[in-house]
Amino acid sequence: MQPLLSLDNAPPLAAPWRFFLTAPLFLVLAGLLLAVSGPGVFSSRWLPPTLALVHLLTVGFMLQVMIGALIQALQVVVGVNLRWPLPLAWGVHIALNAGVLLLAAGFLTAAPLPFRAAAALLALGVGGFLLAAAVAVLPLPSTSPTIRGIKLSLAGLAGVAGLGVTLALGLAHGWALPYPQLTDLHAAWGLAAWGGILLAAMAYVVVPMFQLTPGYPARPSWWYPPLLLGLVLLWSLAVALDQLSLARLAQGGLALAGLAFAGVTLRLQRQRRRARVDATSRYWPTGLGAALAALAMLLAAALWPVLAEHPAWTPLFAILLLVGAFIPFIVGMLCKIVPFLAWMHLQRQMQPGQPAPNMNRLLPDLAAQRQMRAWLLALALLLGAALWPQWLTRPAGVMLAVAGGWLEWNLLGAAWRYRLQAAEKP
Amino acid sequence: MSHPKTPHVVDARYMQPPEPFVQTLEMLDTLQPGEKMLLLLFREPHPLYRVLRQNGHAFESELQPDGTFEILISR
Repeated sequence: MQPLLSLDNAPPLAAPWRFFLTAPLFLVLAGLLLAVSGPGVFSSRWLPPTLALVHLLTVGFMLQVMIGALIQALQVVVGVNLRWPLPLAWGVHIALNAGVLLLAAGFLTAAPLPFRAAAALLALGVGGFLLAAAVAVLPLPSTSPTIRGIKLSLAGLAGVAGLGVTLALGLAHGWALPYPQLTDLHAAWGLAAWGGILLAAMAYVVVPMFQLTPGYPARPSWWYPPLLLGLVLLWSLAVALDQLSLARLAQGGLALAGLAFAGVTLRLQRQRRRARVDATSRYWPTGLGAALAALAMLLAAALWPVLAEHPAWTPLFAILLLVGAFIPFIVGMLCKIVPFLAWMHLQRQMQPGQPAPNMNRLLPDLAAQRQMRAWLLALALLLGAALWPQWLTRPAGVMLAVAGGWLEWNLLGAAWRYRLQAAEKP
Repeated sequence: MSHPKTPHVVDARYMQPPEPFVQTLEMLDTLQPGEKMLLLLFREPHPLYRVLRQNGHAFESELQPDGTFEILISR
């Protein structure tokens, strides 16, 4: 019997880490852009700095970490590795980082060339990842809700990237497209069909595993991912047929589905048996609270569209959903898996009888707690800025940059301590 | 703990990694040829599956309504 957990198949550390270590820099960039742009950012979602800001957060930070995490986690959650993880990570990383910087430049300058270059690079980066992931995952039988969810989330990523590239090229070439409807649809594919499904598929595994909660009930878990994808497809059909009420129906359905998922997750977490609180378990309840508020707003706007006409409505919704929910889930996961990966690789390099490295020393919990306080302050200031932009926009931007920089500092510290410990091994 | 499928059960649903992995391999070592054991978990343990395959153990997994995966492993 092979006695130990075999890690020979795990992707090299450098594959996911390059994504994890550059992603927080986009939080810093987003914060600085907000601080420099000032209160006008919150006056309309269509302003160039607002669009640049949203993509720095969603593509620069969120998508980057999600892709890095999937390159690493597929082996554990679905049992396969992507082929050639290092060259794949290298290529996707460069294309994604250059692509999102050019996209932000495109929004800020309204010049066609950055839009065209961004569209090409993002299509290449996301397309390359999608191809590698599809080849690895699609042939697997869907033996668990997680495998089914990850397969469907790839369709979501294809949808959001396809629409995004179309919109960027449309802006570059001046195509006459229904931009508001396509932008809403692009957001629905990104946040529900890609982000929402992937989050659920990973939560089915990591919430019970790390927080020692009961499992997600089987039947709803099977149907949640196809339900989200179906509702986004319905929304797409509504846009194609120019049926506003059908789009609103899909929007309300997505809000209800998200509320149910967040409610079930909160209920499971109340039954957790893990006594020790760590970074991940601190971020989850806060993130779920913000998600519940954002989804309640989405539902309310589907029922009474006039609500969304209030100038603070859209910024509040976006801040709650992105900075309040998705980003904390991702940061909480980063604070857990970066030291875990470092520990796992150090463990592999140890000689028999050598003491195992201390995981908490790689990224101390106190450092993660302090970073979380900075993020909470940034979130509070951002929510305040949506209501009183004149007073709070610039402090909110500075604080977002500080919280992002703090995360970068913590992750770099973990990487540095890993290198030191790896160099000390006999 | 016993189970209708086998008396040899590791209920690892509230254990932290790598305890489920370690306890499963330890129990497998105590089984006689032809005996089976059951692992209960709230996820599919793919790294364990890989080791089981490498060591020639047959296994089958069944998802229960409460989210438990019942993984029946042959010695």
